[in-house]
Amino acid sequence: MTRLVLDPKLDLSKVAALNKSLLAAKGDDLEIDAGQVTLLGALGLQVLIASAKTWRDSGQTLTISPRSEFFDEALELFGVTVDDLQSTEAV
Amino acid sequence: MSDPMAEIRASFFVECEELLESLQDALAAMGDGEYDGETINVVFRAVHSIKGGAGAFGLDALVAFAHRYETVMDAVRSGQVELSPDAVKMFFNAADYLQDHVRAAQEGDAAPEGADECLQELEVFMGMPMGAEAEEEVSDFQPMGLMLDLDIGELDVGETVPAKETVFTVDFTPHSALFVSGNEPLHLLRAIRGLGALMDVSLDIDRIPDLDALTAEQSYLHWKIRLAGDLREEDIREAFDFIEDVCDLGINREAGEEAPLFSSAGPDTTGQNPSRPADTQPEDSSVAPLTDSANTAPPKVMSSPANKPSATSGGAAGGQKSGSEPSPTVRVDLDRIDRLVNLVGELVINQAMLSQSVTESGFPPNSAVMTGLEAFMMLTRDIQDSVMMIRAQPAKPLFQRMGRIVREASAAVGKEVRLKVEGETTEVDKTVIERLSDPLTHMIRNSVDHGLEMPEQRRAAGKPSEGVITLSAQHRSGRVVIEVEDDGAGINRPKVLQKAIDKGLIAPDAQLSDTEIDNLLFLPGFSTADQVSALSGRGVGMDVVRSAIQSLGGRITIQSEPGKGSIFSISLPLTLAVLDGMVVSVSGETLVVPLNAILETQTLTGADLRKLGPNTNVIHVRGEFVPLYDLGAELGYRGAMETYEGCIVLLTAQENGQRNALIVDQIIEQRQVVIKGLQQAYGHIPGVAAATILGDGQIALILDPADLVQNATGYTRSDFSLAG
Repeated sequence: MTRLVLDPKLDLSKVAALNKSLLAAKGDDLEIDAGQVTLLGALGLQVLIASAKTWRDSGQTLTISPRSEFFDEALELFGVTVDDLQSTEAV
Repeated sequence: MSDPMAEIRASFFVECEELLESLQDALAAMGDGEYDGETINVVFRAVHSIKGGAGAFGLDALVAFAHRYETVMDAVRSGQVELSPDAVKMFFNAADYLQDHVRAAQEGDAAPEGADECLQELEVFMGMPMGAEAEEEVSDFQPMGLMLDLDIGELDVGETVPAKETVFTVDFTPHSALFVSGNEPLHLLRAIRGLGALMDVSLDIDRIPDLDALTAEQSYLHWKIRLAGDLREEDIREAFDFIEDVCDLGINREAGEEAPLFSSAGPDTTGQNPSRPADTQPEDSSVAPLTDSANTAPPKVMSSPANKPSATSGGAAGGQKSGSEPSPTVRVDLDRIDRLVNLVGELVINQAMLSQSVTESGFPPNSAVMTGLEAFMMLTRDIQDSVMMIRAQPAKPLFQRMGRIVREASAAVGKEVRLKVEGETTEVDKTVIERLSDPLTHMIRNSVDHGLEMPEQRRAAGKPSEGVITLSAQHRSGRVVIEVEDDGAGINRPKVLQKAIDKGLIAPDAQLSDTEIDNLLFLPGFSTADQVSALSGRGVGMDVVRSAIQSLGGRITIQSEPGKGSIFSISLPLTLAVLDGMVVSVSGETLVVPLNAILETQTLTGADLRKLGPNTNVIHVRGEFVPLYDLGAELGYRGAMETYEGCIVLLTAQENGQRNALIVDQIIEQRQVVIKGLQQAYGHIPGVAAATILGDGQIALILDPADLVQNATGYTRSDFSLAG
């Protein structure tokens, strides 16, 4: 199980690095810590959704825990649920 | 901290200033009885644009206030409620609070107190108390064109009553460029949520590839947002105002017929294609043409780039109502301009040095060098004037602020006052404008409080019960003259005189002319109000005003006629960066005396001089005695001289009309000098206003004659030496 702590501010300036970290974590179960996120930008969200797809396809688990209030509020505003960001195997 | 959002936010607030300005303009026009559709539209648009921008930044309190204001204005616009002078006053008050709201939002402060009450009063007054929107939306909205009269039934829930449910579907596809320009859909969605409608957002997740195929900075995003509630299309549109060229946007109203109201991101209403392809084009992006009903509707007033003040600055001059063609302007950071002003100052100094050395080299007057130098000097002067003009701003924003002061002050003392503004396009140096705000505020308050009579007294005197204060600005012989005129009772001179005597400011038997009595108002601590009112009369009045004006290199004078009113005139230099001065020499030192302070120059003869007391002299000038001051002695360069016969004096005038004679050794020339402030390095030096650098590289002090005289000993007798 790999653990990845998200940057507090996930905007345009951070998404490339996030993308890279996630690509590097491929092939293993992943737990993403979104506890410190204060800004989840739409591009950050996009990378997380793409990851969920990848993890789902590979049959591995991707979970997001813990999640900050900001993170959850952003998900709600974006019209997605946390399940859209996790692989189906996630608990 | 180059946070792009912060920059955009800052520019929003700059735009707010402009919008508030046009709002004030239009209200002023309404105050003059212009109730035409365009004027009302200007008010509506200004408030509406503020609301839209505020929504994008999640400034909920501001949005809520602007929304209610706009709703009332909308009712006016549609002719449901009538305007009256009293109503306009209330709109003015509400506009003041709107301004406070903008400030509060900018500073991150709490919403201003009393704002809600003010709006409520306005709503009640206009016959549309809480829930007025319900009524408002039932009828046809002419100018909006967007407010179709769907009658879905009225609801009655809580304090803001949605008139009817309108359902909009918004297709929003941000381009990658949206992110590059510092925008963020998250903020936008938050702003849309702030509109208060029920919101159902869904992101088309299928468009997003998996991690391997994804380019992180590219946008694959597409949202479908359904909004239901008491909404207008332009409310939604406003939220996208800042980003319409970096996204695809389709807004469709669902209720009733499936009629897309507009389709593209651009301002076009032709119903053609969306203006630009998206990174990923949504297949359901609405491109249907406008419905007939929308086409036949009167011109839309929704905020499109055409009627939204763009990111251009004021350009306010003149364009009161036309509003359509803002003159092309560029916003420039003030620091850059100041740097340019400084550089031009250096250029002027350098040119003076060059000119001096060329002159000393003895070139004949018509030589190529001399003519070239002359052309160079003229060019320098032109450049300098042009650069100074960049710093110049119309007095309008300052005057508009005074409008508010008049409204507040008159309400506080129960007087009816109208502010008439003249020459508001007159341009004044930015710093002068900024520093004029406080003294002018005080003067206006004084005029309302002391100048104008109570309505019953005015009627008794055969005047209209409404007093008029005229605030005007004009350029007069190289200076800016700002006047505050009231049609009140004029200065009560016997009362002023008595007060001055009571306070021991003048001798009981003093014989003063009318002007001298008027000028007593400028004495420190003088206050004519019988009682200290909340407004003025605290004794910190006109003397503070005068010193503020003087520190700007200005003068203030009073003209007053009993029963007719008073005029306070402020005369200011056009700029604080250069000054026309007389270069003089005193005891080997070169000094500059501002030209505007000098009345005349004279060579003293024995007959002009008169002894006064043990150690002072006065001179006799055309029947009047004028105190004599020896600059050399006063500035400590040397002691008083044996005799002043044959000496040169500069006769100077103070604001109060008092004249003084300053002795100098020699008058060198008259020229424009670049002012270099000393305040920062040395603080206030009595008698010295600033310094300058002369053509020969020498530093010369620029004197402040009025201040100098105030602090002077006046010793001009040889037996008293002050040197050292």
